[in-house]
Amino acid sequence: MIAVSIEDLGWKYSGRKNFAIEHVNLEIEEDTFTSILGPNEHGKTTLVSCIKGLIPQSFHGVWRGKVEVFGKDVRNQSAQALADEIGFVFADPEAQFTSMTVEEELVFGLENIGLPLHEVKDRLDWVTDIALIADLLDKSPYEISGGQKQRVAIASVLAMKPRIMILDEPTSMLDPLGKDFIFEILTNLKKEHSLTLIVVEHNIEQVAPLSDQIVLMYDGNIAKAGPPAQFFENSAFLYEHGINAPQATAFLDQLKSQNLYTGALPTDLKDAIQAATSLLKSKEPSES
Amino acid sequence: MRFGKISRAFYTQLLIDMEQTIQTSAPPKQRKMRRTLLGTVPVVSPLYALHPVTRLFTLLFLGVVSLFILTPEINILLIILIFVYLKWAKVDISGLRIYLPLTVTVAIFMFTVSTIFPGAKPEYHPFKLLGITFYLEVFFFTFASYWRLMAMLFGTIQYFSTNRERDTLVAIRTLKAPFVVTYFFSLALRSSGMFLEDMRTIREAERARGLDESSISLRDRAKLYAMYMIPLFTLAIRRTDEISNALFARGYTPSGKIEKGGKRGDYILTLYPIRNIDIILITLMVIVFIAIAFLQIRYGIFSMENSPLYQLLLSRLS
Repeated sequence: MIAVSIEDLGWKYSGRKNFAIEHVNLEIEEDTFTSILGPNEHGKTTLVSCIKGLIPQSFHGVWRGKVEVFGKDVRNQSAQALADEIGFVFADPEAQFTSMTVEEELVFGLENIGLPLHEVKDRLDWVTDIALIADLLDKSPYEISGGQKQRVAIASVLAMKPRIMILDEPTSMLDPLGKDFIFEILTNLKKEHSLTLIVVEHNIEQVAPLSDQIVLMYDGNIAKAGPPAQFFENSAFLYEHGINAPQATAFLDQLKSQNLYTGALPTDLKDAIQAATSLLKSKEPSES
Repeated sequence: MRFGKISRAFYTQLLIDMEQTIQTSAPPKQRKMRRTLLGTVPVVSPLYALHPVTRLFTLLFLGVVSLFILTPEINILLIILIFVYLKWAKVDISGLRIYLPLTVTVAIFMFTVSTIFPGAKPEYHPFKLLGITFYLEVFFFTFASYWRLMAMLFGTIQYFSTNRERDTLVAIRTLKAPFVVTYFFSLALRSSGMFLEDMRTIREAERARGLDESSISLRDRAKLYAMYMIPLFTLAIRRTDEISNALFARGYTPSGKIEKGGKRGDYILTLYPIRNIDIILITLMVIVFIAIAFLQIRYGIFSMENSPLYQLLLSRLS
């Protein structure tokens, strides 16, 4: 089933000369992991804000085209209906905190969508287990570390069990350990939950192996989109558009461009080593 | 949810690292404290046996009841009661010394004004001290008012020293205040904290670029503080926008109504059951408050003239 369908989408913020995004067409399948890549100020956040309905409902500007989530136009849905279907984790976790303790933060969305209290309790236990934040419940969300803040932010959205979860640069403010922690959570969400994940990220090395589809936003348009193996072909094109393919992929792509390798382009190191080993073995002279 | 082997090892190692960091960075016997609006209270305190609404009533009782009491002995007893309560709650009373300058300044101001502008009347009883003429009625009224003010001040301080924002919100919500009101209050508390934090960041950034506040004049310092308002308000406006988006993203509506029908639940309130002791204490406080107000308004029982100390001084001067 198609989770998100975008047709000829365009958006111009009020007071700006140019459209932030224009002529965007995209389809995202249900239960897939889509990564949105691209340089800063090229329309990534605008695109996901349109999917969430934040645009046009919370911003002024000019809208063109159509965005449908599970067949429903996002412009015709209320905040509660959208919150029920789509979760949104902001780049700055502090920007989304609205409560005075982590526990209140986690249950805030659940209360908004009208869940009964026993269900709220169950989901609170479930989500604190996933994000390992049970010991933070009594603390203020402003007094915990950056990594903990982002885990709380993700948990507060995940607790609502949306069918689609959008994460807008969830690791941009974290140290390497914090980033690893978030990617561990994302890996588990992809493996063990029926969830459509849309992640805006700059960390290509870590996000590429998780992706079913990668979208490159450049100058307000989709410059390239496709499954990872296809997306990372022609690394020179990606480089021109501000993207560096994962090193393992770029290495094999270089070999491919010199007709030394013909297989699919893997995105993680383990697969790349395996491909390179097979390649070396095939090039070894036979012992006879 | 169950994690795979690699993830479990990763998390376990992370938790061990965190635990070791905590163990090496904190003194072993340090008590765990919980930050309140004006101080800290140990995580384990008998105070938490009381419902937040009962604690809110202590603010209304101890912070307001002195308005009806001008007998200094009773107000001093109330202050002693407040200190006993704080001691019982295991609040670090030494932290209250930060209010000492305030109490001294208020005393100097009040007694100076009443000495310079006594508004002497023929029936007043004058007495001389250090060569200055005082009038008993004016002097004692200042003395009684000072202790009334102190009782109200410490009645308020005790509440904010023993309660967190969450306690206040739970108390207000328990009293069935509309959701939008409590939420507005919560956001106001949050924004004030962020405003101060932003100000600290801006000042640190200026100091990092070589600003030495001690070397500039008072006038220039005032100008500097005025200039802080520009980035602070810009940040505040941006934050307003962010919070608005966050509320939308989480399905918040100002009415608090649920589209699917039913009432918006309040999970946090379920964690704070009201017990018999709360009902008894609240009832007691309300009765005592009404009794004091009635006795003072109707009979003037707690007026200055009924103070034993005042009567003693009056008999000496008569």
